[in-house]
Order: sequence, then structure tokens, then C-alpha cells
Amino acid sequence: MVRKRVPDWLNSSLWSTTPADDGLHRYSPSPTTTTTTSSATVSEPTLQPPATVPPPAAASKPQSTPTSPKLEIRDPVNKNSNNNSGGNDQNGDSSGVSPDDISRQAQLLAELSKKVINMWELRRIASQGIPDGAGIRSTVWKLLLGYLPPDRSQWSSELAKKRSQYRHFKEELLMNPSEITRRLEKSVGCDNDESKPEGRGLLSRSQITHGEHPLSLGKSSVWNQFFQDSEIIEQIDRDVMRTHPDMHFFSGDSQLAKFNQDAMRNILIVFAKLNPGIRYVQGMNEILAPLFYVFKNDHDVEMAANAEADTFFCFVELLSGFRDHFCQQLDNSNVGIRSTITRLSQLLKEHDEELWRHLEVTTKVNPQFYAFRWITLLLTQEFNFADSLHIWDTLLSDPEGPLETLLRVCCAMLILIRRRLLAGDFTSNLKLLQHYPSANISHLLYVANKLRTQAIG
Amino acid sequence: MVLVLALGDLHIPHRAADLPPKFKSMLVPGKIQHIICTGNLCIKEVQDYLKTLCPDLHITRGEYDEDTRYPETKTLTIGQFKLGLCHGHQVIPWGDLDSLAMLQRQLDVDILVTGHTHQFTAYKHEGGVVINPGSATGAYSSITYDVNPSFVLMDIDGLRVVVYVYELIDGEVKVDKIDFKKTPATTHSAH
Repeated sequence: MVRKRVPDWLNSSLWSTTPADDGLHRYSPSPTTTTTTSSATVSEPTLQPPATVPPPAAASKPQSTPTSPKLEIRDPVNKNSNNNSGGNDQNGDSSGVSPDDISRQAQLLAELSKKVINMWELRRIASQGIPDGAGIRSTVWKLLLGYLPPDRSQWSSELAKKRSQYRHFKEELLMNPSEITRRLEKSVGCDNDESKPEGRGLLSRSQITHGEHPLSLGKSSVWNQFFQDSEIIEQIDRDVMRTHPDMHFFSGDSQLAKFNQDAMRNILIVFAKLNPGIRYVQGMNEILAPLFYVFKNDHDVEMAANAEADTFFCFVELLSGFRDHFCQQLDNSNVGIRSTITRLSQLLKEHDEELWRHLEVTTKVNPQFYAFRWITLLLTQEFNFADSLHIWDTLLSDPEGPLETLLRVCCAMLILIRRRLLAGDFTSNLKLLQHYPSANISHLLYVANKLRTQAIG
Repeated sequence: MVLVLALGDLHIPHRAADLPPKFKSMLVPGKIQHIICTGNLCIKEVQDYLKTLCPDLHITRGEYDEDTRYPETKTLTIGQFKLGLCHGHQVIPWGDLDSLAMLQRQLDVDILVTGHTHQFTAYKHEGGVVINPGSATGAYSSITYDVNPSFVLMDIDGLRVVVYVYELIDGEVKVDKIDFKKTPATTHSAH
């Protein structure tokens, strides 16, 4: 049997993730990282401390000037090899950070300002990455997820409709039983006691409405349902508290963090109540987090104020493609997570049989051990927050749906570290894959895109 | 939305064997945040059982209680309300509104919960509300043999309390409720 040869471009030193070759991130976050070129700074979470507005937003304009002189300081090796690889490739090369960035921003802004947005065009530009500044990402994601229609004139009516719908959901579903019974009484027309503030004597007893009382064990009882839901609500609460503990936006004692946690909690509770089939599964909070972050940090004040409602609908939309991954009963079916992992495995086999063989046959690293988290959580846990936003840009802009691109990106992740994997045994490979080393995201996405175009076989 | 269970005068094992099964099936752990018990349990096993329903348990001493360490009276604050607890055999005449009102003023509480008469009553007067949850087992009292098992569940929500009265009449659980609102003006100033 002829072993499929690994294509030469894969073995080029360009694609390894060893620190020396690593270029800087596409969007250098803050001026401090320009001092050294080691990837140690690259791995630092770029959207760290005072993260109400992402630092890149503030630095987006000054960023353009420091990056150009930076190119000169950088490794001549890098510069040459980047030129060799044909820096004109659409899908993100590492060298031209600033000019590409600005042009992409201009292109996006141009597209967004049109009366009717060309979705195909938008997807094409977005798949190369959306700049962090100018709050573009929020609007683009909403368009990509189908929340905003392409026709600009319909935006305000659509938004108003959706937001009021969400408000309605919240009112209905988040009421506690005391309030519900109070409303029931009002509707039945019971007259409340209020009448005699001063007075003594026996307190009058009144009938309970609809047989509702707190200890009711009836299936349809509001109280009973409340207590049954309280378990799920506790679970949601715990997970929301644990989301991104390193980011001030999500965690800590600040007003902002509490507000955001409440919003996320509300969204997840409403989702769980509206979807009794799937309820809440651990991990949904991780998928919610980037969406909410991006929408909340929209530069447009009105948009940011309504971030909760917008996030809810986009979350539902995003999850609709992946629901089956969260349903335990479907695990072994052909829409479940196991079959998706098998698809990833097949993809790897097609593109890099040597690595596939080494991983699955020789070292017996079952893809479930690492790919499960990659796929169900859409790679939010594998990279730092800023990087995962960039990856999501590409994922969401795929017209076929994020899953296809996701599998390609996962495959690319494996291929990028192939040298280390091929040299490792079960333990070291597993460790490596479960703590994926920080990588240059543009490289990663470039490789993933190449997998799409490369012929199989 | 805080649920407080008030019950008492069970007289287990002397006058009754156990709570009625219909009551027991309704009282499951996890729903109730506080339990206040007027007294006369009488043995430790009953206290342990109540503790499984809810860890926050308050008991006052009834004259037949075997554990002598319970206090005579107790006050606690739940939400916006101050609750007072006392068995009631100390207040004479037993079950008299005026004397209980005196005790309520003494304890300075909005809601006073007492027992001993084994009859459910709920009184209102200027100072607040006096509730007697009756006997949860239907044990006979010093006054009468004709006792319906009853207990009380209070839903404290802000300035409003809804008192749900659970009674076992002819083998069926009947639930009624009483609404009570605390007007912010009725703060007890030092008399």
C-alpha cells in the first residue's frame, strides 16, 4: 500500500509552532508586545485587565504606526519567508498586519454601510478576520448569524420585535411563584385585605386560587415546577460564576461583572425553560461568553444596552447547529458527537495519513480525548479569549455552517504540531493535545483554508 | 420569597404516633428555608426529623418537651419581618388575644407564633399578627379532644406575607391562605 506523501508545504518550517518562527499575532494587542518577538508575549491573553472595551479598540489607530517600524526590527528570516509564501494570499498572512488590517476594516465598513448588504461578500471578507476596533465585529456577527436581515432598513423593526419578545420571555419565565400566584389572584379578582390597617380580631381566611400552594405536588403546580427547575438554575448559576475567571468582564466583585453574570444567567435560564428537550448542559456558558462579550462591547450605546436580548437570539441560532452534540441520547447516533469526531478523524486521515496512523493506531490516542472539548465548545477553551474571537470570525462566516470549518480548523491544529506528535507517545501526545500550545492564529486559519481547497487522495 | 414552616404540639410519642401520612408526603426537604416550632415535640427523634426537612430549625420549650435546653421564647428576623416564637403555656389565659398581644409587644415582633391550644387561629391587632399553627399531629390538648391536625407555611416576600394554612379535615388536606401586608409606617417605636 502506497503511503500518501505529506505535501511539501506542510513540512516547511513556516508552519511549525516553535517560538523562533512564530510571527506576532495578526493584531498586536498593546504597544508593550512590540518590545520582544518571543512568543511568550503572544500567549498572554490579549484582552486582559481593564476589559470593558477591548484594548485593541483603543490601540487600533496607534497600532498602525508602531507595526510598520516593527516589521523592520523583526526577524529577516520571517520577512523573507513571508514574502516567499506569497503574501498576497487572501487568508491572513502574518506579515502585513497593518495594511491588511486597515484595508479589511475599510472593506467591511464599506460593505456594512450599503443599503442591502451582500452576504456572500460579507462572508468572504469576514472569513479573513474582523478587526477588533470600531465595534464592527458585533454587527458582522449579528448579520452572519441571521439575527439582522441584510436589508438595513428593516433593522430597527426587527430589533424592536426581537427585543420585546425577549422581554416577554423573561417576564413569563423568570417570575418566582409568589408573584405568579399574586397575578393569578388579581386576574381572578380576589379582593386583598388592605382594608383595615388598624383593627383587631380574627384574620379572615380566603380560598387559594387554583389549588396553588407551596407544598403542592401537582404536576401542573407552579410551585412544584419552580422547585424542579431550581436544580437546573443552581447548575447554571455555578457555571456562570466559573466562566472566564481571569477576565474582569465576567468575574470578580465589580458591578460590571455582577451585571454581566446576571445577564448570562437570565439568558441560559430562559433558554433552558424554552427548550425542555435539551435544558442546560455544562459548556453552554462557554459558547455564550464570546457572544455576550462582543455584543456588550459594541460601540453603539443602544446596541450595547440591549446586548442581552440580542445575545439570546444569536445564541439560539448558533446552538441550533450544534444542539445534537449536547444531547446525551444522541451520542452514538449519526448526528451525535461521536460521529462528528469520527468525521474529524476521517478528515485527518485524508490529509495526513502518517499522522493519523501514528495518533490512532500507534499511540492509540482516541480522538474523543481531545476533540470532544474542541468540537462541543467551539475551540473557546483551547486558545485565549482574543484568539478564539478571531477563530469564531472564520467559523461564523462559513456559509455551510460553522461545523465544516470547525472540523477543518481542528484538523489544521493537529497538522501544525505534527512534528511533536509524531515524536511523542500516548502520554505526551495526550498532554499536548489537551493543553494545545499557543499558535499563530493566522497560520492556523490559513492551513485550515488550504485543507478546503486541497484535493483529497 | 422565603418559605417558613410553623408547627408544633406534636406530642410524639405520648399522645400521637407520627404526623399524618398526607402531611408527611408534602413535607419534603429542599423547599423550606426555615422551620419554627412552638414546642411539645416531645422527643429528640422528632427534632432530628425536622432537621432533615430544613437545617434552620428553631424550637421553644413546651411543658412536655424532654429536652430542657430549648429557650422559653425566641425571636428571629426573616426578610422584612420580625418573628417571635413561644410555646404559649406561659401566657395566661391560654390563647387570649390581649395577653398574647402583651407578649408580642414585649418581644417587639411583627408576627408572633404560639401554640398550646392545639387550635389554629390567626389574630390581627394594632401591633401585628398572632398565629397559632395548631397541632400537627392532631394530638388532644388539655382543653379538648376534638383536634384537627394542622400546620402553617408562611411565604415571606418583601413586605408581604402569605400564610398558607394546611388542615386535615375528614382525611383530606384543605389549604387556605391569609394575606398580610406590613405597612412600613408600623414600625414599633419604643413605648
